[in-house]
Amino acid sequence: MSTLMSQARTRVPKFAEDAVARARLSVVPRGETTAARTPFVVMVAMLLVGGVVGLLMFNTSMQQASFTATSLQGKADALAARQQSLQMQLEQLRDPQRLASSAKELGMVAPTNPAFIRLSDGAVLGKPLAASPDDAMRINPLPAKKPDALNPKPLIVRVPATETTKTTRDTAASSTDRTATSDKKKQAVTTSRGGSR
Amino acid sequence: MSRDRLPSPRSLRGSSMVRLRIGLLVITMVVSVFGARLFQLQGVDANSYAEMAEQAGLVKLALPAKRGEITDRAGAPLAESVQGTMIVADPTRTAAHAQQIAKVLSDKLDLDYFDLLTRLQKKHTRFQYIARRIPSTVATSVVQAIKDKGIKGLATRPDPLRDYPGKDVAANLIGFMGSDGDALAGLEMNFDKLLSGTDGSETYEVGGGNRIPLGENDLAKPRDGKNLQLTIDRDVQWYTQRVLRAAVQSSRADSGSAVVMDTRTGEVLSFADYPTFDANAAAKADKADLGSRGLSDVYEPGSVEKVLTVSSLLDQGKVTPRTRITVPKELPVMDRVIHDWFDHDKLRLTLTGVIARSSNIGTALAAMQATPEKMRSYLSKFGLGERTRVGMPGETRGLLPAADTWSKVKQATIAFGQGLSVNALQMTTAVNAVANDGVLVTPSLVKGSATTNAGHTVGTDTTTTHRVVSKKAAGQMARMMEMVPNPETGTAPGAQVPGYRVAGKTGTAQRVGEKCGCYDGTFTVSFAGFAPADNPRFTVYVVVQNPRNGGGGGSIGGPAFSKIMSYVLGKYAVPPTGTPHADLPIEW
Repeated sequence: MSTLMSQARTRVPKFAEDAVARARLSVVPRGETTAARTPFVVMVAMLLVGGVVGLLMFNTSMQQASFTATSLQGKADALAARQQSLQMQLEQLRDPQRLASSAKELGMVAPTNPAFIRLSDGAVLGKPLAASPDDAMRINPLPAKKPDALNPKPLIVRVPATETTKTTRDTAASSTDRTATSDKKKQAVTTSRGGSR
Repeated sequence: MSRDRLPSPRSLRGSSMVRLRIGLLVITMVVSVFGARLFQLQGVDANSYAEMAEQAGLVKLALPAKRGEITDRAGAPLAESVQGTMIVADPTRTAAHAQQIAKVLSDKLDLDYFDLLTRLQKKHTRFQYIARRIPSTVATSVVQAIKDKGIKGLATRPDPLRDYPGKDVAANLIGFMGSDGDALAGLEMNFDKLLSGTDGSETYEVGGGNRIPLGENDLAKPRDGKNLQLTIDRDVQWYTQRVLRAAVQSSRADSGSAVVMDTRTGEVLSFADYPTFDANAAAKADKADLGSRGLSDVYEPGSVEKVLTVSSLLDQGKVTPRTRITVPKELPVMDRVIHDWFDHDKLRLTLTGVIARSSNIGTALAAMQATPEKMRSYLSKFGLGERTRVGMPGETRGLLPAADTWSKVKQATIAFGQGLSVNALQMTTAVNAVANDGVLVTPSLVKGSATTNAGHTVGTDTTTTHRVVSKKAAGQMARMMEMVPNPETGTAPGAQVPGYRVAGKTGTAQRVGEKCGCYDGTFTVSFAGFAPADNPRFTVYVVVQNPRNGGGGGSIGGPAFSKIMSYVLGKYAVPPTGTPHADLPIEW
């Protein structure tokens, strides 16, 4: 093979020798890279630092948002609760029982004989009558009945009638007299029951 | 390697070897300890440690669904869920100050001090319920007071609270909720599925009291319950309850019920029971008062039943309002003798007179003209012996004896309301059929439609109607009933409503005692009626059990009826019809 090559080389014309010499394979010298190394390192470092810082800031801002969310949620809860409490108060104020007792305090009674105006022709239907205090209705329950132990029956002690009979005009005087005598004789002792509304 | 490069004295080389070996040994030991620990953590009880890690910063929260409102026909709330508040604690932070916190909480919220101490010091958890369902304003002020002392670890969270703004208004129907949030009675219980919705839950990680943004987060949103609208009118309900209470208390009776029904639609505007209870404090009430007596108690209707008997006789064409009846002093039927409530010699009453004077004998005589089968089928069409199915729990069906058990006596007594039993709503519905031109409208308590827990759909959308008696018979009956409140002819002058034509009927029935199962000398008094008589809009029924003032249906039920009817006619702007009152002869 080498002999063939050498034969061929010898057969090459003189003018082509340079070209042959150039075409001959040879080890390429290690090329010096001309690009500066520093900017690349700086760029990578910046990317890295930027990424880390960005991530940190993003995290911080999310944490911040979480704080805000918590405080806003707290505020919203408080406001919702307040609205609900007010709603509850409003309903308690609209309670028919409360309205009725306020009206009663103002001296109002429910009408029993209203009349109606027919809007189409203005006719008055029914005979209106003013309500009277008799139309008032009991809106509160009777006071609860006391147990017998707390509500003893009136103790009545009969005393023989005294000879004094006085006119009605002297009732006041006579009653004091009677009280005086009754103290001595332990006359009627009565207990008062709770008044009904 | 070092031997080749750094030739050194033997002693030195030896000691370095020893050091290295000792180092290796130490490292091996440490690594094996680590390895063993790693195996223990990951291999042996990995799950329990994972749980502990989760618990350390994980908050699990139930998100309660908002319970639906129960409203009246105009939307005014009868039962509503208010954003109550729960107080929760983080025991890892409260344990140190548990006694201080427990003292404040037990003072202000009336909680058990020792129970609080245990909760505040509970180990291995960061979440404990301290108090639930308290008004938010109270909760925040208490928690703030504790925070002001520099103690941390308590927090408030929303927790729906059930509030009944009307207190006792319609409490008998609505029922109430237990303190643990269970529906325990009435519509609350029967429509619990509809009202309660589905609770949600949320799980998230916290750090320093704030949610960790990218931490574990799991949210299942709650589905709120649906509202339930009733046909009840809150104002009418309140008024009826007050009138009924006055009637029961002033007659020193045991209990009573009153029903107001829209004649045309069968909607119940008011269903009052007395005694009743405050739904906000149901635990304090007498257990017997917690339901609706008007639906769960049965009684013999007494003379109000005569309306049904006579209208079915009119429908069969057996009688007319002017049919002449000779009423004897007493009427022996088989082994029994029927009496009237008033002593009289032989009376010559028209059928109208029999109704107006409420003669048992006259009604029994008239009823003899029909067969038991026919009579029973009419009463059954009037809805007796069948539940009204308005959606309330615990309704009785009453008792309408089977036709083959109807002896002659039984037929006579059933004709005037003895020997069968009803509840207040059945009776109202039956009388309402007469008011509504003979067509029975099934009653309803729920507006629109709603499904009970048991799966029944009830409400105004499911209302059905059927004819019981002819329009003519119903009209005749209404005119006859007009003679009852007439002071000259009837038994209930107190039932008149000034300006209006009123048709009604009194009832005074002997009560069957619970102990002996016989008539024990006490009475059920009632009044049923409708107005305006010639174009009825409302039917009102009042029944009072065991009055002790000697009153009857006319003197106890009548005035209460009048008050309620007058109010409801005024409120719904029903003008008087202006036609002359019926004037039928009662004697001949």
